[in-house]
Amino acid sequence: MEKEELRIGVFVCKCGSNIAGYLDVEALDEYASALPNVVFTQWNLYTCSDVGLDEIKKGIKEQNLNRVVVASCSPRTHEPLFRSICAEAELNPYLFEMVNIRDQCSWVHMNEREPAMAKARDLIRMGVAKAALLEPQEIITSEVEVRALVIGGGIAGLTAATSLANRGFPVILLEKEKELGGMLRSLNRLAPMDVDASEVISKKIKEAEDHPNIDVYTGAAIDKVEGFIGKFDVTFSANGTTKDVRLGVVIIATGAGNLVPEGMYQYDGQKVITQWELEEKLKIGKIDGNNVVMIQCVGARSAERQYCSRICCAVAIKNAILIKQMNPAAKVYILYRDIMAYGVENEEELRKAKQLGVRFVKYDPERPPVVEEDKVTVFHHLMGKELELPQDMVVLSTPLIASEDAVKIANLFRVTLDENKFFLEAHVKLRPLDCATDGIFLCGSAHYPKDVRESILQALGAASRASIPLAQGEIKIEPIISTFVDRDACRGCGLCVALCPYGALEIEETDEGRKANIITVACKGCGVCAATCFRHALGINSFTDEQIQAQIHGFLAA
Amino acid sequence: MQYTTDIRVIRLMCTGRMDPVIMADAFIHGLDGLLVLGCLFGECHYVSGNFNARHKINMTGEMLAYAGMNPGRLSFRNLSSAESELFVKHVTDFSTEIRELGPLGGEADKVPLPKLKENLEIAKTALAGPKLRWVVGKKPVFVDTGNKYHEVFTEHEINRTLSGIVIDEMATHSILAALQNKSASVKQLAKELEIPPPETLKYILGLKRRGFVEMESVKDHTPLYKLGASP
Repeated sequence: MEKEELRIGVFVCKCGSNIAGYLDVEALDEYASALPNVVFTQWNLYTCSDVGLDEIKKGIKEQNLNRVVVASCSPRTHEPLFRSICAEAELNPYLFEMVNIRDQCSWVHMNEREPAMAKARDLIRMGVAKAALLEPQEIITSEVEVRALVIGGGIAGLTAATSLANRGFPVILLEKEKELGGMLRSLNRLAPMDVDASEVISKKIKEAEDHPNIDVYTGAAIDKVEGFIGKFDVTFSANGTTKDVRLGVVIIATGAGNLVPEGMYQYDGQKVITQWELEEKLKIGKIDGNNVVMIQCVGARSAERQYCSRICCAVAIKNAILIKQMNPAAKVYILYRDIMAYGVENEEELRKAKQLGVRFVKYDPERPPVVEEDKVTVFHHLMGKELELPQDMVVLSTPLIASEDAVKIANLFRVTLDENKFFLEAHVKLRPLDCATDGIFLCGSAHYPKDVRESILQALGAASRASIPLAQGEIKIEPIISTFVDRDACRGCGLCVALCPYGALEIEETDEGRKANIITVACKGCGVCAATCFRHALGINSFTDEQIQAQIHGFLAA
Repeated sequence: MQYTTDIRVIRLMCTGRMDPVIMADAFIHGLDGLLVLGCLFGECHYVSGNFNARHKINMTGEMLAYAGMNPGRLSFRNLSSAESELFVKHVTDFSTEIRELGPLGGEADKVPLPKLKENLEIAKTALAGPKLRWVVGKKPVFVDTGNKYHEVFTEHEINRTLSGIVIDEMATHSILAALQNKSASVKQLAKELEIPPPETLKYILGLKRRGFVEMESVKDHTPLYKLGASP
C-alpha cells in the first residue's frame, strides 16, 4: 500500500486570555507551521466555539488535512468534541491529537513567559510527531445476549433480579442454599424501620418466584464461566442437573458470612452469644435474665480484620431497644469503641436507646472487657476505674465477613477482591456498582457489610447499570485497545494472558500455531500486554511504541 | 498552582504501558530524567497496571544503573488524580533531583558520554530480549500464585534472580556488541569489557552453544571468536 502524503493541520487556541494571557499564541502558530508534515496552521480565539470548530472542518475539507492537532486545553473535557468534529468532516476521529498548552503550560507557568513558551513549542512539536504516526481506528461493536444472571438469592440478589425482570429482561437467579432469602431469613426485626425481617423477605421471594421473567435455581453452583460482556457462557448445576446458558450481564450478590467468635470473650453459643444468635432468641421472644452486656467490635477493627463492619452498632442498638421494650426492668450495657450510628434514623435510634436507659460504656481496645461467669469487667476510661457489670447474657457484635464462595466466584469471573475478600468495585467514585471487568456488576454485602436498605439501594443501582447493555442490545467500545503489531511474532506463550487484568486475552490454536487472541470488547487498553510481550507482537492503538517514542524523540530533537 | 517548567508530560492509558525498551531508548536519545507517575497502589484505574509498572521500572532502573547511568534519573511515584499538590511536589522534587545530577553522562553517572550511550544501547537490546521480559512479566504470577509446580516465590527471591539475569544479559550483549566488527579472544574481550576472564569464557561458551558466536581461528594457541553466521 502506498503511503499517503502526510498533511497535518495545527490549530492553536487562545482560550480567551487563559492561554493568550501567558503565551504568545500567534508565535506558536507560526512555530507550528515550520514543523515537519505541517501544511496548515491557524490560531483561534476559542477553538471549541462554533467558529473554531467550523475552521477545523473547513481546514480538513479545503486543505485536505489528514491529521489534526489542536493545541488547547485538556483532552479530558474536549477530546470527544474535537474528534466528533473530525468525523463530521469525514476524517477518521482517531487521526486527531490533542496538545494541552493550557492546563499543562499557561495556567501553571503564569510568571515565566519564556520558559513557558519553550515548553509550549516542545509540547506542540511532540503532538505533531505523534500525529504523524496515528492510524485510523473504528469503533468496535458487539452484540449483547439479552439475559441477565444474578448470583445470590438474598435481599440484594432478589431486588436486582426483580428490578431487571420488571424492565422486561429475562433473568436467571442462582441461589446456593435450598431456599431463597439469604441472611434475612434468620433475622428478627430490621432497624431503623422496625419491620419484621421475614415479612420483608417473604414478599421479595414471592415476587421473584412468581415473576414470569425470572428462572430461579436453588441449590445451585457455578462450574464454568467463559466469554465477556454480552456473551458470558456459564455452566451451572442445580439439583443434579447441569445447564449451559449464554448471558449478557452478570450481577454478583453473593452476600457475606458471619464471623463465629471462637475463643473470644468465653463465647459458647449459650450464655455468651452473637447478635446473630440473639436475633433468633428475640424472634421467639424469650430472653433469660435481666442483665445483658453487649460487646462491640468483636473480631473487627483488629490487626487481623482491620475494617469496620458498619452495621453492628445499629444492630446492637436495635436489639437493646427491643430488650428494653420487652422488659423495661432489664439492664442493658453496650461496651463500644466508637459508635457507628450514621445518618438520620440511626442517630435517632441511638438517642432512643439512651432514653430507654441503655448504658453505653466506651472501652479501650488495649484494655478489652473481661467476661467471667456472672459479670463483665470493663475499664471505664473517663471514670478511670474498673466497672463490674453483672451479666445473665453476653452478646458479642461480630462483623460480617466475606462469603466463603467469594474466592471461587472471583476466579470464575476474573474479578478482583479486596484484602478482606470482599468484591472490589471498578472505581470507588466513578464506577461504584461495576466490577472492573465489563458486564459484571455487584451489590449487597458481597461488596462490604451493608444494612438491608443499603443493599436494596445498591441492588437497584446495579440492576440499572446492568440494564444499559441489555437495553442497547449492543455495546460500543473505544478502539484504544490492544492490537497485534506483528502477529507472526506471537508464539502463543500466554504471558499476556496471565497478566491481563480483564481476561481480554486468550490463546487459540490457529493454522499458524498457537496465537494470542485479543477479545476486543473486554480490553481496556492499559497496555500491560504490550509492555510485557517479549516477541514485541502486541501494541496499543494510538499508544504504540513508535508513537510514544516519537513524542520523546520529538521533545529531544529541539 | 504553579510549578517548574522543566517537565513535559506524555499521556499513557496506564503506567502498565511503560515498556523497558521505551525507557532505555529515551535516555539514549538524551533525556536527563524520566518520572513515571501512576495511581496509588491498590487504587489503580486498571486494576493492577501500576504493580506491573513497578516491577518493570525497578528492573529497568537496575539495568540502566548497571550500564553506568545514575539510577536517580528514572523514578516511579504515585498519587491519585485528585492530589494536585502532591503532583506539584513530585515534579518539583524530581526536577530538583535531576538538576543536581546534571545532564546525562556527567559527573553523577558512573560512565561518561559517549561510552554511556553505547552501554545504554546494549542495555536496551537486553531489555528488548526474551530473558528479562519473561522473568519480569512472570514476577507477579510467581509471587501470587506460583509456578506450574505451585511453588510460590517471595519478591526477594525473584528480585535476586532478576539481578543475576541483569548482569548476565549485560555481559552477553556487551560481548556480542564487541564482536560486531571484529574477532577477539576471551582474554581480549575480558580486558576490553572488564569482565573477569573465567566469566567471559562462560559467556562465550554459552553464546557458542546457542550459535550466537563461533570460533574463527586459533592464533598463538588462543581461539578467536566472531559472531555466529545464523544464530
